Amino acid sequence: MSANTVVAAWWSLTGRRLAALAALTTFLAAAFVIDLGTGPARLAPGEVVAALFGRAPDPTTVAIVRNIRLPMAIMGLLVGFSLGLSGAVVQTVLANPLASPYTLGLAGAAGFGAALAIVLDLPLPILAEARTALSAFLFAALAAALLLLLGRLRDGRPETLVLAGLAILFLFQALLSLLQYLATPEALSQIVFWLFGSLARANGTKNVILAAILAVALPALMRLAWRLAALRLGEERAAALGARPGALRLEALAWVSAATAAAVAFAGTIGFVGLVAPHLARALVGEDQRYLLPVSGLCGALFLLAASTASRAIVPGSILPIGILTALVGVPFLVGLVLRRERGSLS
Amino acid sequence: MLRRSFAVALAATTLALSSPVGAAPIHLTDLLGRTVELAKPAERAVVGFYFEELTAAAGADVWDRVVGISRLHWEGWRNASWKRYTAAIPRLASLEDVGSTEANNFSVEKVLALRPDLLILPIWAFEPLGSALAPVEAAGVPILVVDYNAQKLENHLRSTVLLGTVFGRAERAEKLAAEYRAVYEDTIARARRQAGPPPKVYVELAQAGPGTIGNSYKGTMWGAILDQLGAENLANGRLASPWGPLNAEAVIAADPDVVFFAGSSWTNRPEAVRTGFDADPETTRASLRRYVEGRPAWQATKAFRQGRVHAIEHGLCRSLADMAAIQYIAKALWPEAFAEVDPRATLARYYETWLPVRFEGTWFLGLGS
Repeated sequence: MSANTVVAAWWSLTGRRLAALAALTTFLAAAFVIDLGTGPARLAPGEVVAALFGRAPDPTTVAIVRNIRLPMAIMGLLVGFSLGLSGAVVQTVLANPLASPYTLGLAGAAGFGAALAIVLDLPLPILAEARTALSAFLFAALAAALLLLLGRLRDGRPETLVLAGLAILFLFQALLSLLQYLATPEALSQIVFWLFGSLARANGTKNVILAAILAVALPALMRLAWRLAALRLGEERAAALGARPGALRLEALAWVSAATAAAVAFAGTIGFVGLVAPHLARALVGEDQRYLLPVSGLCGALFLLAASTASRAIVPGSILPIGILTALVGVPFLVGLVLRRERGSLS
Repeated sequence: MLRRSFAVALAATTLALSSPVGAAPIHLTDLLGRTVELAKPAERAVVGFYFEELTAAAGADVWDRVVGISRLHWEGWRNASWKRYTAAIPRLASLEDVGSTEANNFSVEKVLALRPDLLILPIWAFEPLGSALAPVEAAGVPILVVDYNAQKLENHLRSTVLLGTVFGRAERAEKLAAEYRAVYEDTIARARRQAGPPPKVYVELAQAGPGTIGNSYKGTMWGAILDQLGAENLANGRLASPWGPLNAEAVIAADPDVVFFAGSSWTNRPEAVRTGFDADPETTRASLRRYVEGRPAWQATKAFRQGRVHAIEHGLCRSLADMAAIQYIAKALWPEAFAEVDPRATLARYYETWLPVRFEGTWFLGLGS
């Protein structure tokens, strides 16, 4: 192969990747607009636009678009991006295509934290809902710390991390079941409602927090992209290229934990986004982590946003639980991707 | 004469409707201690639960002033009731469905789109929704939180009066609350006067058939009623959670004096104890007998030997109709003290006085009777 052909191939590959990135961004913008236009109130597109700029004559329409649809759509973007990004990192770090941000037990821990706050109902001087989110975040962080600690004991080996994550998941699931068993009926319905996973509790404050965490975690993970790519070549080669696999895995997982914990604390456990998005991204741009990470985030955002729109559009005038949608779309999609998977991709 | 008094009544009504007194703002404190302000009695309400209580407190025509409900909570959970109420008030079937927190499909947008002037929610729906309700409040729609689930007399009475007041029917609701209070307090007072050791009582949700030990209740549902009556609930001290199945061996060893099987009109539950609107006494008795005969090991208990086994409608719990259920349980525990009390008549009177639906069916029944 001559130098020219190599350069041409590189350009064509990069071009394909940039095209994918651009196409995804366009789709995402379209999905965002469609999402804003969808809802049981069945507003006309003109009304939505007018309301968005506060110009609708009717205050109810303004309230629906600006206080309900807009925060939900933005939260869909941010949570979807967080889960998609996290999923790609986790799959890379654990060299496991079945891994997702929830594999590591963080969602289980967050669920337990939320339930604990609901059951204890401590008279703290903050809103009950902020208490629940905070407790969910703290327990997810605790689980992440535990995971990283166990991982460090065995030099960050993927098997150790997967098994430690599973152990943490089972531990918190058992504790959650115990809490649900002991809870009063009123607390139980709150716990179940929280666990469902939903974008309905979106508001500006939560979106700012989610965005702030992403604004720190995304550049930090992008900085690791080269070394994560080296990791995909295998433990020895990564080490030879100067990456310290164990330390790298732990650092990447720490950032992922922050992003996942925030997403779960505010939106509950919405499944399949973090599992499906990386596979879709890999099909689009391949293994190069510099592209895979942001594209997987975009795929996650697109997937969750589309599911959120569908949950309000499939049965007009009614709302389907979003977790059911992500699973129903996610499973066949995942199976399709697995069946079509080319040789040499992540296995 | 009759025609004239009708004309006078009509004139009085018209006057009342147009009088500025009716348009005075209403300030209330709801069951969570929140301040609720209405400019005038609600004309476009969205109602999450306690539909029968609302009907009783504010009158059947209150449904002309309701624009949306959480339909699952009525059509899905209390289907026999839904069928009868929709027959009596056809408008119900065409009310918009705003979804349910229990099914994770409650839609705040839908609520707002209905342009309501009041949203009525039970505590158990209001609390999980949390800040998701912020847009409703921001739009200036008051939210009234009521509660019958805590099974506290105070909550029952206050919720009833509030449900009437927000529709401008405070007087009616207060009369209903007074009637409830009288029945409830008389029952509790009589029960508390009983000397001797409290009877040992076991309650089981008789849904899945005699082969399955159904849930018992500690401090909630039937457990709360037993505590208030001063009976000894076998679930107390034996159940770690508010509800769950007791160990059959523990129940038999404890030797209950009276056993209640809570039935209902559940669909696809052929082995359940059948009670409610559609059950005639023979159906209820036969389904209860299947439970007794299907539990050979239980024949040694005092309750089974003496035929002190009862069926009771599960849906009576946590409602205004629970006054009849409490009376029935008390009478089953202390037959002499409640000899002249007729729980069925209490329930029939409640329906005839306050509800648009004809009272019928079997709501409780003893095997010995």
